[in-house]
Amino acid sequence: MIWRLYYQFLKFGCFTFGGGWSIVAQMKEIYVDKQKIITDEELLDITSIGRSLPGTMIGNIAMMFGYRMAGILGGLACVFGMITAPFIVLILITSFYAAFQNNLIVASAMKGLRCAVAPIIIAALFGMIKGAFKLPACYLVALISFGLFFYVSCVWLVVIGAVCGFIICEYYEKTNKINA
Amino acid sequence: MLYIKLFWSFVKIGFTSFGGLSMIPLISSEMISHNWMTAHEVSDIVAIAEMTPGPLGLNCATFAGMKAGGLLGAFFANMGALSPTFILSTLAAMFFAHFKDSKYLNKIMIGVRPACIGMVGGVLLQLSGANFTDIVTGILGIADLILLIKFKFSIPKVLLLNAIAGIILFRVFEF
Repeated sequence: MIWRLYYQFLKFGCFTFGGGWSIVAQMKEIYVDKQKIITDEELLDITSIGRSLPGTMIGNIAMMFGYRMAGILGGLACVFGMITAPFIVLILITSFYAAFQNNLIVASAMKGLRCAVAPIIIAALFGMIKGAFKLPACYLVALISFGLFFYVSCVWLVVIGAVCGFIICEYYEKTNKINA
Repeated sequence: MLYIKLFWSFVKIGFTSFGGLSMIPLISSEMISHNWMTAHEVSDIVAIAEMTPGPLGLNCATFAGMKAGGLLGAFFANMGALSPTFILSTLAAMFFAHFKDSKYLNKIMIGVRPACIGMVGGVLLQLSGANFTDIVTGILGIADLILLIKFKFSIPKVLLLNAIAGIILFRVFEF
């Protein structure tokens, strides 16, 4: 069972580009539709928890799915299976990058690639903005975190965000009760 | 010890990142403050990580770890980045019912999501300053933005075009 999980997630790991959603889609196809090991709802639950926990979404999902199938070892098998292929590919690319960084053609191609990074982040930002500003005070949190970015460690910005989120929700619940 | 430092850096990154690109500001500030990478190299990993299979955060960990401390560095960076997965997801799987509609988690996320957006805005300035050094690179950036948002080009496609454009513009015409 452990090896089967490892092997299956090794295969999943080979076919993900960018986001982890394609792995969720593959899991649905194999475990929900074909093997019927878990239901659509269970997979959805695992996905939504995996998304809201810190860290890599797809790693979290793999861990929780594997744990369901075969305990902690199963979870580890899924996580390590999933990262094996990307890890090897990245090791090769990084070695290549280090060796060819100063090659003029590679350097020109990289200079072109770098120009795409900010646009990619901006495009992703549009996706993130949806659903991020549930209450008006959220805009203030974003503004504060943006303003402090160059002065405070990002770790603290996330902690500040978490505390603000909690306070905002508590305050909102209280005032709403008074109004009602 | 370099490996422990790398591991700890990525533990911090792992525990404070929530999905996809929200890892980039954290990686950028950790890597640049430790002198493990330059702003250029941070941009390079984002581009490379987007082109290769696997989750962005882990690809960044491998690349950053390799650059800073070789193969073992890459391993420790990955373990650090996966530490929330090993700890929190295992707990979540054990106490699944409690996590399913955790009010605390939802409340915290109300603040964390906008904080991430603010941070991503910050890293955008940081990387743009390093990458857009003249009119040619600026125009290339704007063209990419239009392709991505207006014409819904996929990220790998845009990156491929940029690599070609880079070779033509900076090597052949030597801008």
